[in-house]
Amino acid sequence: MTHMEELYRILRNSHVQAQGIVDTVSEPLLVLDETLRVQTANRAFFETFQVDRDETIGQPLHELGNGQWNIADLQRLLVEVIPRAAAIINYEVEHEFPALGRRTMLLTARRLHHPDSPSRLMLLSILDVTERYQRDAAREMLFDELRHRMKNLLSVTQSIARQTSTENRTAEEYRDDFLGRFEALVDAQDLAFSDQGEGALSALVERVLMPYTPQPDAIVVESGSAIRLAPQTLQSLSLVLHELATNAAKYGALSVKGGTVRIGWQLEDNPSQLHLRWAENGGPPVTPPEDTGFGTRLIRAAIAYSLGGNVEQDYAEGGLVTQIVIPLGEAHVSR
Amino acid sequence: MPGTVLIVEDEFMIALDLQLLLERQGWRVIGPAATVASALQLLEDETPTVALLDVKLGGKLVTPVAESLRAQDVPFALTSAYEDPEQIAGKAVARAPNVGKPSTERRLLATLEKLAA
Repeated sequence: MTHMEELYRILRNSHVQAQGIVDTVSEPLLVLDETLRVQTANRAFFETFQVDRDETIGQPLHELGNGQWNIADLQRLLVEVIPRAAAIINYEVEHEFPALGRRTMLLTARRLHHPDSPSRLMLLSILDVTERYQRDAAREMLFDELRHRMKNLLSVTQSIARQTSTENRTAEEYRDDFLGRFEALVDAQDLAFSDQGEGALSALVERVLMPYTPQPDAIVVESGSAIRLAPQTLQSLSLVLHELATNAAKYGALSVKGGTVRIGWQLEDNPSQLHLRWAENGGPPVTPPEDTGFGTRLIRAAIAYSLGGNVEQDYAEGGLVTQIVIPLGEAHVSR
Repeated sequence: MPGTVLIVEDEFMIALDLQLLLERQGWRVIGPAATVASALQLLEDETPTVALLDVKLGGKLVTPVAESLRAQDVPFALTSAYEDPEQIAGKAVARAPNVGKPSTERRLLATLEKLAA
């Protein structure tokens, strides 16, 4: 074997080795010569950008795939920046590819010096981060929304703490009043993000009233229509049901043995509304309260202000009857 | 007498709370309004000294209210749980101070007094 043949063999082998290395890299990789013609490309490049070997090797970069790599930012990077810097790492480029759509790529370019040759090769790796960026953005949005909800909830809790009356109340009484309302918030939170679906209102009624059931049959829940309510609506209703129940336990039908509360609701169309009825019976004689306490204001504001609904409280002889009507626009029904 | 303040907030508990808190400090409260439409209606009847705006009202942006306040030269603050309300509600709320949510009483009062001065 001549020296010449030996040299060719080595070169061929090293070329095969180099190609092996290039193909092993999992992200798309191009080897460019100094005129920015493609010397080699790896499998990941062909697959990611849906091109084949013949239309790639030997072509100037800006003519590849009908000019889809003719990207001003990239040309500038390769022609102007690379000759002066040894490497550029993770340079972000956005580009519209005819077949792939808009992609975001991180480009890393590095000059290769061959000790025995003046030729300058360049490695260009292209990391397509479009999906990763989209996932990150979606996660960020979800995180923002959660943080927003959490801060709103803290804000509502703060408002309840500030508004729960301290007048003529011991610290212990204040605490119990506050915690009662706080638990109504917790119940609403639990149900708003659980899988209750259309049973959420039933589940809410059951949960909020459970502590107020002095004896079996004191509270009768008439099975109402199945309805899926938005978190905001559930939260308002939870606070309202809690106020009704705690008032009934203090002054109304649930304050005496044999008193009962009947709760029922139904959906109506045209306009779409939720009707909820709370009727007490068998309690002490009822009289309208002399001044509107926070509880009563809370009930009115929860229904009328936030939900655009209507509350009627009838202090009938047999017991308090509260009727609530809530319009069910798309904001109040969970989607 | 600090003046009049329009409160725009859709959550009843927070609206009630802001109203009572500011009334105790001598402010006369206009509203509170739970929707963009009712806030704009209130602004037609009366121009407040300052306003306090939540950024999202029942899923809608407060932007038209902020634009109307800007047009009438009424300074306003935001009560938003969002870090960057401008990103949500746009240029109309740019540079408006955000007292945050929840906000401390001191921060809220100091901000309103500064706006009214």
